[in-house]
Amino acid sequence: MILTGKILARLVLVLVLGVILQLSFFSRVALFHVSPDLLPALVACFGLLGGTMSGAVAGFSVGLLLDCLLIAPLGGSSLVLLATGYLAGAYRERFGFPRRFAAPLLCAALTFFAELGFGAVQAMLGELDSSVSAYVVEDMLVKSVFAFFLGWPLYAGLRRLLRPALVEEPRPQRRPTAMGI
Amino acid sequence: MYRKQVRRRRAILALLILGSFALLTITYGQGSNGLQRGVATIFSPVQGVADRALKPARDLVNWFDETFDAKGENAKLHHEVETLRKEAVAEKSAIAENAQLRKILELDKSVIPSGYEEATGRVIARSPSVWYADVTIDVGSADGVAIGDPVINGDGLVGTVSAVIGGSAQVELIAAGSSAVSAKVVPTGIQGLIRPEVGEPGALILDFIDSAKHVHKGQEVVTAGWRSRGLSSRYPPNIPIGEVTKASILEQEAQQQVRLRPFADLRNLDLVQVLTGGSRE
Repeated sequence: MILTGKILARLVLVLVLGVILQLSFFSRVALFHVSPDLLPALVACFGLLGGTMSGAVAGFSVGLLLDCLLIAPLGGSSLVLLATGYLAGAYRERFGFPRRFAAPLLCAALTFFAELGFGAVQAMLGELDSSVSAYVVEDMLVKSVFAFFLGWPLYAGLRRLLRPALVEEPRPQRRPTAMGI
Repeated sequence: MYRKQVRRRRAILALLILGSFALLTITYGQGSNGLQRGVATIFSPVQGVADRALKPARDLVNWFDETFDAKGENAKLHHEVETLRKEAVAEKSAIAENAQLRKILELDKSVIPSGYEEATGRVIARSPSVWYADVTIDVGSADGVAIGDPVINGDGLVGTVSAVIGGSAQVELIAAGSSAVSAKVVPTGIQGLIRPEVGEPGALILDFIDSAKHVHKGQEVVTAGWRSRGLSSRYPPNIPIGEVTKASILEQEAQQQVRLRPFADLRNLDLVQVLTGGSRE
């Protein structure tokens, strides 16, 4: 990703808006008793568009802002979301820009991963003294389904917004065949 | 050139990971810090505006969710209405009797004992993950709120203040993994500890109850509000918590626990009240 002042401003604006929207809207609505989680999908999209470093830095920043606004111990969300962004970026660097269903599918898979990560951080901090309900798994799965549908427009929108900064790999050229097709 | 780039990337990644762990180590258990105070001061007005602006959209989405639920519950509610209609007649006379008794015993005070003051706040943010049962409210230390203060809403107990800054506070809900509230069943007085079932804010567990005494479905559970040797519970007594939904004899005798449904809808909190100034041990 080629970073200019204008692109950086756009990135910051998108990340801040994403966090505000998550806390004020998505976290407080429920469909099928589950609140969608936009942030892992947002961070994954950054990773898919910019690579490992963009994904990791975006994840760290989003996590830090999230923890600040929730007055939670700093670093927990950053750790999880930076890993999410990094993994998305690793996919991008290995396979190039995702095609068709790959981006929303990755958003769904990485949302599931992030939810597992949040659970692991809670366990690491000793905050899970109680029994864990089986609904946690249901919640994580439904969140991943939401992330699939959110990831679609999110990826397309971000790709459009950051188009000037994206480094597109040349597509492999099709060789002309003897038939000329 | 490529190697240098790779090394730089690895260094940044290592820095971010180490930074996360360092922040976690430094800030865990602190309540709040300068960075959070600064960020919250900047974003509180934005969150307040976003909260009000997005309320109609939230209500619309939640309406869909409730409609799906309502369809399934319709038949069940029809049956319940019939039962409740019969109970209502008995209830009215009981209420009248209760009011008289309260007057006689001079107990006609509100549930909240004297010494507590109320700070009313609005939920402005909610943690996105199912693992964190926390909300952020728009009242803080400037309104007299302190760590450990109990938080209620019109239906019952909601949680306790776990971190506080000038204009906002974090509330750890009773459904949070580390939450524990001493409670008693009314009218029997059986005491126990309210524990959550992580991931299911609509269900709580009353744990460590006396297996010799039996709790029944439908009984109400309130805060115990104990006081012993100068120490006292952070929750005042008799704040409604929930209603027993499952109380099998087997579970009570083997595991010393029953299940309950909290009165407060922990998924859809809006206005809450912080009880400030009481026991803060």
